[in-house]
Amino acid sequence: MLTLTQQLTNLMGAFTLTFFLQAAWNTLALAMMGCSIGLVMGFLIACVRRTRTRLLLPLRALLIVLVELMRRIPFLVTLFLTMFTLQGVGVDLSFFTIALIAVCLISTAYLAEIFRTGFESVPQAQIEAAQTLNFSQSQLIFLVMLPQAWKVVLPPAFSFMVSFIKDTALASQLGVVELTFAGKILITRGYSSFLIYGLILLVYFAMSYPLSRLGARLERRLGQPTAKPSASFQPPAALTAERLS
Amino acid sequence: MHYTFQFGEILKHWPDLLSGALVSLLVAFIAFWLGCLIGLAGALAQQHASIWLRRLVRGYVVFFTNTPSLIQIFVLFYGLPDVGIVLSPMTAVLIGLSLNAGAYLTDIMRSGLVSVKKAELEAAATLNMSAWQSFRYVTLPHLAKTIYPLLSNFFIWIVLGSSIGGLFGVNELAGQAIEISSTSMRSIEAFTVTAGIYVVLTFIASAFLYAVGYWGFRVRARFI
Repeated sequence: MLTLTQQLTNLMGAFTLTFFLQAAWNTLALAMMGCSIGLVMGFLIACVRRTRTRLLLPLRALLIVLVELMRRIPFLVTLFLTMFTLQGVGVDLSFFTIALIAVCLISTAYLAEIFRTGFESVPQAQIEAAQTLNFSQSQLIFLVMLPQAWKVVLPPAFSFMVSFIKDTALASQLGVVELTFAGKILITRGYSSFLIYGLILLVYFAMSYPLSRLGARLERRLGQPTAKPSASFQPPAALTAERLS
Repeated sequence: MHYTFQFGEILKHWPDLLSGALVSLLVAFIAFWLGCLIGLAGALAQQHASIWLRRLVRGYVVFFTNTPSLIQIFVLFYGLPDVGIVLSPMTAVLIGLSLNAGAYLTDIMRSGLVSVKKAELEAAATLNMSAWQSFRYVTLPHLAKTIYPLLSNFFIWIVLGSSIGGLFGVNELAGQAIEISSTSMRSIEAFTVTAGIYVVLTFIASAFLYAVGYWGFRVRARFI
């Protein structure tokens, strides 16, 4: 076994550095793409959920059930289930795509819930006023509800996205070459696992900490949300340090 | 797609799945209470301790909330043997989850401590209560009531989070699912059933926590 200094100098070589950077990029891409898609889908689901027509009742019921289910299944199980189902169906997808689909499913469910809480924070009188003024449904959402719900939505949405950078570590179990998997490969190449996992912890920290600081700052600037936080189940990311300080 | 579902193959293993579910709950329960102790100590330290201890606690919280719990346990389980400390899978998972939970719970507890009004503490001091008495009879009831919804959310989150124990060979629900799927080759069914059990498990836990909150702490929160 090499000594610690030898290992460190080897690690600083061009090959391992690019390997590490590539892996870190995969982690970021997984989290960012998953959350962007989740943001859009979650917004759409929240919009459908606040409609009242009888026509959409089955769709609403289905969405509620799906969102509730997805939020009660661990990410690890979702990952495995997505992988085996997709492979069972016979679609040939890369591990990265499979992991991305699983990430999208989970983030859609959580962000739909965050958006719903935000929409509920808008006073009913505002909505009635908009209806009296003959606003269309999209005008109501984009001109009245979204600007007010934003304050309530943004902080938990932000900390949720930050928490997703960490959760993608589980995708290494499928074989997606992201940071955690890169670490495993380096360990099989003979580096000390203490050193490598310690380094990886630092890299995750370096990615997640600036973002969570940014989220905390955003929240302070937006001021205290007017609505009470939803007591229904949300990830603890919605209640991190910065939020409470 | 030519795939015949055979859920019978999985349901045969129901004793394993049931014991797995119980182990999951147990792991979550232990990690939650250890985390609560760490959290309470951390929150009290942040309010009353010296500046260095406060900084230390702050560093602990920031570090553990910004890194994945999976890698934290990796360091404990695969990293520590390099330094000569060998932990069993269960111990490593429990320590990792507790430390991780402790970091989040420090913040939750602190938000509760902040919500206790200064006037009430002064009133307690006027009544000549000791520090312990004012903590026990003034601070703690406030704390329990304000942070109860957050704590029950957190417990559910730990039940889900304990699933990573399966990757280290702890026989909890996800671990059992991985084992059953690799022995029976019925992966889709195994993980579908497991997902179903997790849903039922967390629903029961939510309902129970809701009832305790409603009758015990007068917390009227949304259930779903």
